[in-house]
Amino acid sequence: METVKHTFDSGRQLMTDRVPPAPPPAHSWSAPAASAPAVEDLPTPPVDPAAVLDELVAVVHGARAALLATTDGFSIASSSELPNEPAHAAMLAAAVGLGHQLVQMGDGNELRQLVVDHDRGLLLIWPLGGSRILAMLTMTTVDQVRLRSFVRSRAAVLAGSGS
Amino acid sequence: MIDQTFKILVTGPFAAGKTSLIQSVSQTQVVSTDVVTSGEESDVKAATTVAMDFGTYRIEDGEFVRLLLFGTPGQPRFRFMTNILKGDVDVVAFVVDAQATETHAAAGVELRSLLADLHVPAVVAVNRCDDVESARRLARSLGALSCEAVVPCQLIDPDSGREVVIEVLLTLLDVIERAGAEVA
Repeated sequence: METVKHTFDSGRQLMTDRVPPAPPPAHSWSAPAASAPAVEDLPTPPVDPAAVLDELVAVVHGARAALLATTDGFSIASSSELPNEPAHAAMLAAAVGLGHQLVQMGDGNELRQLVVDHDRGLLLIWPLGGSRILAMLTMTTVDQVRLRSFVRSRAAVLAGSGS
Repeated sequence: MIDQTFKILVTGPFAAGKTSLIQSVSQTQVVSTDVVTSGEESDVKAATTVAMDFGTYRIEDGEFVRLLLFGTPGQPRFRFMTNILKGDVDVVAFVVDAQATETHAAAGVELRSLLADLHVPAVVAVNRCDDVESARRLARSLGALSCEAVVPCQLIDPDSGREVVIEVLLTLLDVIERAGAEVA
């Protein structure tokens, strides 16, 4: 448990270092919505992860829903758009678990991002620290620069280290 | 030279010893998806499989026989992984912890469901058990058929894991012989 606590406590640093992850494919980039305020101009972040996920969907153009889960497959929070389906968190944990193994296939050391590119958009999956996973359902045109900036600004809450 | 490959599904309840079995017998580096547990499960053990374990075992006795060992997670929330991994399985190695009695009811449901679904033989590995009769009683109570092999074992011991694999090989041999007899 001490290891987990340490990981959570260092979540802000991990997020700063590791999120945003690898660059997304070029076709999924787009300019931010003209009316969207800069991330640094957003009000004080909520301390509830579910509220942060709702905020993410509200302020990041192209984000449809988000889910925060533990790496061992439990749901921590989700945006209001997502049905409460326990299998979602378990599937994300399984995907990230396999992703870590597949990184070795590519001679890599660290899994930064999993992308499921499907006919209705993207599912972006980011490991947060060592114990959490953030999954975001987005349109293919999602503003990934803003998405990464937002997640970085809410790292403490999402990675579990508090405000 | 005959080279035969068989797919073995290693499944059973959470913390029964599935990963230990594969790690103790695999002759190649095990593909493991263990992560740190959280919540109540962390009281039971420190790490858990979230997708699959994969290992191999090969014997050479005039011909090559290779076992591909696919281990499932044990918790019900990962049942979809069992559904993915169970396709074209030749033998189910069902691992159950004799001393974790609180897992036995659900284990029985799972074992009976698998046997009814897959129509393949099973080997029941009764972990943390030294007594053959006790192991058989437990296996029968879970729904294993009388023809199903039962192995009492201590899966922290690699030799004990090999006994399970030998039973899997004997079960495969029996299947092959019966298939040959039916053709003849």
